[in-house]
Amino acid sequence: MNWSHVKWIFHREVRDQLRDRRTMFTICIFPLLLYPLMGMVMLQVAQFHREQHVSIGIFGLENWPSDSPLILESSDPSQIQWKTLTVDDSIGVTLEQFQSVQTQTNSEVKNKSTESYIVDGKAAEKLLRQVHCDAVIWVPPGYHNSISDNPLVILSNQRWERSQLAIRLLAEKLEGWHLSWIRTQLAWTELGTALVDPLAIRQLDVSRPEVKRALVWTKILPFVMLIWALTGAFYPAIDLCAGEKERGTLETLLCSPARRKEIVCGKLLTIMCFSIGTALLNLASMHLTTSIVMAQFSGLGAIDMVASLGPLPLHSMGWLILLVLPISAMFSALSLAVASLARSTKEGQYYLMPLLLVGMPLVMLPMIPGVTLSHGTSVVPVTGAVLMSRALIDGEYGLALLHLPTVIAVTLFCCFLSKRWAIRQFESESVMFRDSERSSVAQWLINVWRQREDTPTCNESILCGLLILVGLFFGRFSLSGMPLSWTSVVQSTIVTQLGLILAPALIMATMLTRSARKALRLHRPRPLEIMAAASLAVCLHPTYVAFAAAVGNEYKLGEQTTSMLMQFDSIISSTPIWQVLLMLALIPAICEELVFRGFLFAGLQRKGGQVRAILGTAAFFGLSHGVLQQTITASVMGVMIGWIAYRSGGVACTIAFHLMHNSISLLLASYSSRSVNSPHWLSWAIEQSDGHLAYTTTWRILSVGIAITLIAWFATRESVFSKRRKSVVLNDLYEQQMKLTA
Amino acid sequence: MDFVQVQNLCKNYPDATRGEFKALDNISFAAKAGEVFGLLGPNGAGKTTALRILATILQPSSGSVRIYNFDVTEQADLVRHSIGFVSNNTAIYDRMSAWELVEYFGRLYALPADRLYPRMEKIFRTLQMEEFRDCPGAKMSTGMKQKVSIARALIHDPPVLIFDEPSLGLDVMVARALQSIVMDLRDQGKCIIYSTHIMREVERLCDHVAIIYKGKLLDTGTLEELADRHEQNDFEELFFQLLTKGDKGHFDAKPPVDLGMRIRTASTSSQGRAL
Repeated sequence: MNWSHVKWIFHREVRDQLRDRRTMFTICIFPLLLYPLMGMVMLQVAQFHREQHVSIGIFGLENWPSDSPLILESSDPSQIQWKTLTVDDSIGVTLEQFQSVQTQTNSEVKNKSTESYIVDGKAAEKLLRQVHCDAVIWVPPGYHNSISDNPLVILSNQRWERSQLAIRLLAEKLEGWHLSWIRTQLAWTELGTALVDPLAIRQLDVSRPEVKRALVWTKILPFVMLIWALTGAFYPAIDLCAGEKERGTLETLLCSPARRKEIVCGKLLTIMCFSIGTALLNLASMHLTTSIVMAQFSGLGAIDMVASLGPLPLHSMGWLILLVLPISAMFSALSLAVASLARSTKEGQYYLMPLLLVGMPLVMLPMIPGVTLSHGTSVVPVTGAVLMSRALIDGEYGLALLHLPTVIAVTLFCCFLSKRWAIRQFESESVMFRDSERSSVAQWLINVWRQREDTPTCNESILCGLLILVGLFFGRFSLSGMPLSWTSVVQSTIVTQLGLILAPALIMATMLTRSARKALRLHRPRPLEIMAAASLAVCLHPTYVAFAAAVGNEYKLGEQTTSMLMQFDSIISSTPIWQVLLMLALIPAICEELVFRGFLFAGLQRKGGQVRAILGTAAFFGLSHGVLQQTITASVMGVMIGWIAYRSGGVACTIAFHLMHNSISLLLASYSSRSVNSPHWLSWAIEQSDGHLAYTTTWRILSVGIAITLIAWFATRESVFSKRRKSVVLNDLYEQQMKLTA
Repeated sequence: MDFVQVQNLCKNYPDATRGEFKALDNISFAAKAGEVFGLLGPNGAGKTTALRILATILQPSSGSVRIYNFDVTEQADLVRHSIGFVSNNTAIYDRMSAWELVEYFGRLYALPADRLYPRMEKIFRTLQMEEFRDCPGAKMSTGMKQKVSIARALIHDPPVLIFDEPSLGLDVMVARALQSIVMDLRDQGKCIIYSTHIMREVERLCDHVAIIYKGKLLDTGTLEELADRHEQNDFEELFFQLLTKGDKGHFDAKPPVDLGMRIRTASTSSQGRAL
C-alpha cells in the first residue's frame, strides 16, 4: 500500500467535495439550519399553546348527594367547564331519550370504582351535538339516596379527541369524589379513614438529575446520529463512485499509478470524513438548539418538560463522538461498495433505500424497551455499539468495559469485510465497466441453458439459498403450531426436508448444470475420512452442547418455544428410536448436506472462493433453522462442516458428521426423557445429572484433545480441491507442451 | 525496440443476453519508439477494449501484452508509469482547474516538487494552456479539456502514449492542433498508439496501422504495404473493402505479423518542441 497515493487521492476528493455546493448543503449547511429552525418553530408553537378546555354537561344535578357536591370550583381541574342542563323540551332531550340511548348502545364500560356506566355509541352523538358538550353525565333520580343502585350514565363520542379528554378528566374527577365520599362515610363510623389508604408509599428516585435528563437523549441521539452518519456517507459515496463513472473521470484514475485498493482507501477516508462531520455537526447543532429551547421553556414555566428533557449533558456528547468513529467507518465502506455498483448518480440514489432498510433494524433494535448491553447484543453490529454508548452515557462503565472488546472486534470485522467488498467491486471489470443492458428474460434463459457448466455459478447458488429460506419462511407459517403427534413430526420433516430444502437444489442442479453429480459434490467416499468425520462429530458434541447451553443462557427461549420443545421431547421419547433416527437424523443429514455443502458450496467456491463458500453455506445453514438460538449454534457448526466439506472435496464426510451429530443429540434427548440411565460401559463419558444425561468432565476434556487431533489430521491431508487443481495445471502444461512439440 | 508488443490478445466478456462475447479475438501487433501506430476500426470493433488492456484498466482473457518490456498483467505498476492514456471520454474533473488536475496526477506519479512544477510550466507553455490554467473543468471547452488530458498524460514523461479517438468531437482547428502535438511527440521518440476511424487522420499521422473489425485483426502494416497488398491507393476505399470482406468472412488467412519488417522508419530527430 502506497500511503502517498492514498493521501493525494484523499486530499483531492475532500477538496472536490468541499467545492460541491449540493453536497455541502446536504451534509453540512442543512444540519446547521435544521435544528435551529425546528427549535424556532417549537418556541413559536409553545407561545400560542393553550390548555384545551372541555365542556361537560350534567343532567339531574339536583339528584346528586348534597353533602358531597360534585362541582367544586376550588378543586376542579381548570380544563373542565361544567354545564348544568335540565331535561326539558327547550333542548329537546327527554328522560326517555336517555333511557333509549342507554338501551340502544352496544358498548358499555363499567367503571368499578364509581359504579357508573360510560356509554359510547352512535345514538349518543346526536344528543351530544344538541347540548354542545364533549361529554354528558346523567344523574338518575334517587341517586342521592343510593349511589350503588342507580348507575350514572356518561355519554361520550370517542371519535372526538375532546370527548376522549373529557372522559379522562371526568374519570379522574369521579375517582377523587368517590374516595372523598368514602372518607366522609367512614368518618361517621368507628373504622376511621385509614381504611381508604391503608398503604403509605414514599417513592424516592435515586438517579442523578443530569443522568435522568440524558435518559431520553440516550435513546434518541444514537438513532439520529446513525441516520446522519449513513446519509453523510452515502451521498459522497455516490458522487465519488457513480458520479465519477458517469463523468468518465474514474477511467483516468484507474490507469494512474494508484492501485485499486489505494483508490478505495483514499475515497473511503473521504467518505468517512464527511460521514463523521455530518453526524457531529448534527449533534452539535442539536445540542445548541436544545440548550436554547430548554432555557426558553423553563422561562415559560414548562418546568416538568425541562426536568425530563433537559439540555444534553456534555459527557454524553463525548461518548457519542467516540461511537461515531467506528460506525462511520463501517457505513462508509458499505456505502462505497454499494455506490460502486451504480453506473450513474441516479442509479446510486436507488440503492440508498435498500441500504437504509437493511441498516434500520439494527439501529431500531436498541430502542426496544428492555434491550440492554449483554453478551448477546454486543455481537450484533451497530446495535452493540449503540448500546455501548448508552451504557457509557448512563455511567455504567463496568458493563461497558466488559463488552468493549466484543463490540470493537465486531465493528472492526464488519469494517474489514465492507472494505474488502468495496475493493472487490473496484477490481471487478464487470462492475466498473458495466454498460446499460436491456433485459430480455427469454434470451437470458436460453443462454443460461446453453452455457450450463458442471457446477452452478455463484449467483445460482445464492439464488438457491434464498429460495430455500423464503420457502422455509412460508412453509413454517403453514406448518406452525405445536406438534401433536409423531405423525405430524414426520409430515413436517418430509415437507421441510424433501419439499422445501432438497427439491429446489435438485431442480436447479438438473436444470442449470451439466452434471448433477458434480453440482451436488457427490464423489466416491473415502472410508477413512468418513470415519474421521463421524468421530469428529462425536468428539465435538460435548463442546457443542456447552456452547448451545451458553447461547441458550444468553438468548432465553420464549415460553411458547420452550413448551413446544418439551412437547417435541415427549413425542420422541414415546417413539421407537430407529424411527426417530431415520426421520430426524438421517433424512436431514442427507438433504441438508446435499443442498448446503453440495449445491450451494459448489457454486460459492468457484474462482477460489473457499472462505466464501464455508462462511456462506454456514450462514444459509444457520438461517434455515427457525429459532434464533439454533441459528447461532448451527451457523457455528456450519463453519466446521463447511471446512470438512472443503478438505474432503464432497458431501460424504459431511453427511457422516451431520448424521452422527444429530443422532447423538437425539439419543441423549430421547433417553433423558425416558429417564433411562446411560449404559455401564459408557459411564466414564455420560452420567446422570439433574434428571438428564450429561457428559462427564473427563470426556469433555478428552474429547477436545481428540477433536483437535482429528482436525489436525484433516488439515494436513492434501485436500481434494488442491489435488484437482494440480491435475488441471498439469493437464494444461501437458497440452501446451504437446502444442509446442507439434 | 518494440515499445508495445501484443501477442494473441483475446478478451471475452460474459454477456447476460448474448452469452460469452469475444471483444478481441487473437490480436497481435507491435509498435516501436518514434512511430505512430494507428489502430483502426469502426465503432464497436474492439479498439477501446484493446487500448484499455494496454492501459492496464482491463485484464486480458488470454495472450500477452508488453509495454516498454513490462507485462501488463504481472507488472501493471511499472506499465502505468510507462504510459500516458488519453481517451475521448476521459473527462476531467469539473471542480478542479487545469493546473490542479495536472499537479494531482504529477503527485500520483511521485514527481518531486522541484521537477513537477518546472515540467508543468513547460507543458502548459508548449500546449498553450496558460490562459485557462486556473479555469475549472466545468467551464472548459472540449478542446481545452483534451489539452488538459494530454498534459495530464505527459506529466511523467512516459515513453508510450495511448490516444483513444482523441479527435472525436473536436473542431477542425483543435483537431489540427492535436495532430501537430502528436507529431511533435512522435518526433521526440515516443511510441504512440492512436485509435481512430477518421481516414484523413490516419493518412496524416500513422506510420503503421492495424485494422480490426468485430474483435479480429483484418490486416496490419504500413500504409504503402496495405495499398500494395490490396491494390487500392485510396485508403478510405481500402478500409471499406476490408470491412466488407471481414463481414463475408474472407479473412481466414490473415497475414502473419512480421514484427521486424518496417518500411517507413520514423524520424527520431528532435525537431519538435520537446516536452
